[in-house]
Amino acid sequence: MKVYVTGSGIVSALGAGCEATLDSLLNERPGIGRVRHLATEHVEFPVGEVPLSNAEMASTLGVGYPESGLRTVLLGIMAGREAIVSARLSRSDIREAAFISGTTVGGMDRTEQFFKSAFDSNSESEDSTELRFNDCGCSTELIADRLGRFRMVTTSSTACSSAANAIILGANLIKAGVTDIVVAGGSEALTRFHLNGFNTLMILDRERCRPFDRDRAGINLGEGAAYIVLESEESMKRRGMTPLAELSGYANTCDAFHQTASSENGEGAYRAMREAMDMARLTPADISYVNAHGTGTPNNDETELAAMERIWTHGLPPFSSTKSLTGHTTSASGAIESVISLLAMSHGFLPVNRGWKTPIQQGAVPVHQSGTKCNIKHIINNSFGFGGNDSSLIFSAVNKTAGSDAANFNETDS
Amino acid sequence: MSRRCFVRSLAMVSCQDPLTEAWAEEPRSFDTGYVRAAEPDTRGLILPSEARRMSRILKRAVATSLTALNTSGIEHPDAIITGTGMGCIENSEKFLIDLSKFGESCLKPTLFMQSTHNTISSLIAIILKCHGYNNTYSHKGISFESALLDAWIQIRGGMLRNALVGSHDEVTPFLALVMDRTHPDYSMISETSVSSMLTCSESADNRCEITDVRILNRPDIGEVAALLSKDEDDLLILGTNGNRLNDALYDELLGKLDFAPRTMGYKHLFGENFSSPAAAFVMGATMLGKGEAARVTIINHSDGSAWSVVRLKAVTPCGS
Repeated sequence: MKVYVTGSGIVSALGAGCEATLDSLLNERPGIGRVRHLATEHVEFPVGEVPLSNAEMASTLGVGYPESGLRTVLLGIMAGREAIVSARLSRSDIREAAFISGTTVGGMDRTEQFFKSAFDSNSESEDSTELRFNDCGCSTELIADRLGRFRMVTTSSTACSSAANAIILGANLIKAGVTDIVVAGGSEALTRFHLNGFNTLMILDRERCRPFDRDRAGINLGEGAAYIVLESEESMKRRGMTPLAELSGYANTCDAFHQTASSENGEGAYRAMREAMDMARLTPADISYVNAHGTGTPNNDETELAAMERIWTHGLPPFSSTKSLTGHTTSASGAIESVISLLAMSHGFLPVNRGWKTPIQQGAVPVHQSGTKCNIKHIINNSFGFGGNDSSLIFSAVNKTAGSDAANFNETDS
Repeated sequence: MSRRCFVRSLAMVSCQDPLTEAWAEEPRSFDTGYVRAAEPDTRGLILPSEARRMSRILKRAVATSLTALNTSGIEHPDAIITGTGMGCIENSEKFLIDLSKFGESCLKPTLFMQSTHNTISSLIAIILKCHGYNNTYSHKGISFESALLDAWIQIRGGMLRNALVGSHDEVTPFLALVMDRTHPDYSMISETSVSSMLTCSESADNRCEITDVRILNRPDIGEVAALLSKDEDDLLILGTNGNRLNDALYDELLGKLDFAPRTMGYKHLFGENFSSPAAAFVMGATMLGKGEAARVTIINHSDGSAWSVVRLKAVTPCGS
């Protein structure tokens, strides 16, 4: 049974919406810079912040308390609304659909403010009801409630592969006949909690991150949200929709090596890509482009390359890490990079791996020239999380035979 | 053709005696609002040097997982799927306190590394060297049912032969205070760790069959009632807790049924937390094993917004 993508929505440091994102990608305008919205002492680390304050987002979206104080929720509503509009989902479509969102920090931004003020005021008088909406599930529910009344809502939480795993559950729900339409993806705001957490692991770069470069020195954290609309063929035809792509393969595997490091030969990553290709019935030669996890840490990029070299033994396909443009959007990254991959596919270009200069080893050269055109047929999108939670998604171009279909295709995309 | 999905083994740590089903015969009773779990003896399961580095939730999760696996007759799970509403909250809390106390320097990496929700599932994978499907769900009081649904559709669809499915929530004193203040609908707060091996293989050792798993978002109560029937739903295990604010929705549901099923609660025995529906799952399998019903239907709601319906069916023992 086939699962199609019939809509998408995105907000990241590259801008709000598919159109703004495409523009930033084509003009190679990265969103990484000095921290503006997050109240952190660590101004030395560049970040990929969404260039909007909570108040600006709340006002644009027309939402108040408690959503207005929860950045993950605001970002999620923004991207979710775009996905629903682009897939032309009606209220009754949503009533039968599932909403699956990936997040790990959820409302941690509000929780850390609570702890800080309680500590600073040295009292227990802080209103702990403030903490009511801050767990992952509540944050997803607040997003879902602003999008419509879904039949089913749940949250996947596997750190940096959360959104990819939300998409995988979504596809499995459609194949099992539980539902015909799933809005799946993830949302994650920057917080002091995980910025400091990554800093304790000493894997944040003080410069602009340089994934797959020999002299790379770590991550620039980012934030954002993205959702794609997954749909069965029958439902898509019934609604007269034209697909953006087919989700032709996917796999979730575990490196089972270490909580925060990848095994030397990238076993989990290798299995994820390999099993996803098996599901899609593709060979390595069929893959036009790999949107790599590519965090910019010495360990990730080396082991991801090792895994890729085990699959493509006669030379790597074009690959890049768009985290060099968005920053590492952690739990949302699987969805954000899926939407970037879909934009690249429909507009026929390869996204640039910014900041790259020197290969880690011979032949490991990511896409580094702007405006590289490419007729993309099959994309692998990798998302690897702490705990070795490794997932790969494959998006395949759908043959567009009739001229009218092609016109529709462009229209729904923009 | 769809395969069937059976429960092969179960293990639980809760406020009742750990890793036994003694609660079914001689349950402990409690008269306080917050009861911590009775810790399992992890000797023989975890090396003491490793156990010292693990938080409570991790020790409990490893203990229940290894017990469920060891008693399943299955050597290696195809998948590890976990539910946890609050994740490794003890470590998260410590990291937050350090962050408030010491500012943004001198923080400990271990607390952060073991603070994410998927720490549990991946630790089990590391111990078992399990490279298969590994996922974690964190969605309030339907975290367990989300993990169960994922395993159930993949086993029935032939994508997995078996899966180690668990749900784990620890409740620190601070979290208990927050739950008490934010949830006037709760009664006794406690902790739950449950692990279960699910399999597609028929066997005399199977404890019961899972015939339905549903998650519903903001349903009309009538929609939930419409799922139930006199022939399919002999015994309902409900998430009632004796608190009107919580129980009213279950009463409304029962009022909409055109038959009168037997009902029972479980929270008076196991308390309340985001993973407590997993205790109802253990209770359901136990009732079926004792022949007290042919079918059990477990119904829970979380804040009235997230509902779950899980149906279990007795398996006929060999020779009868």
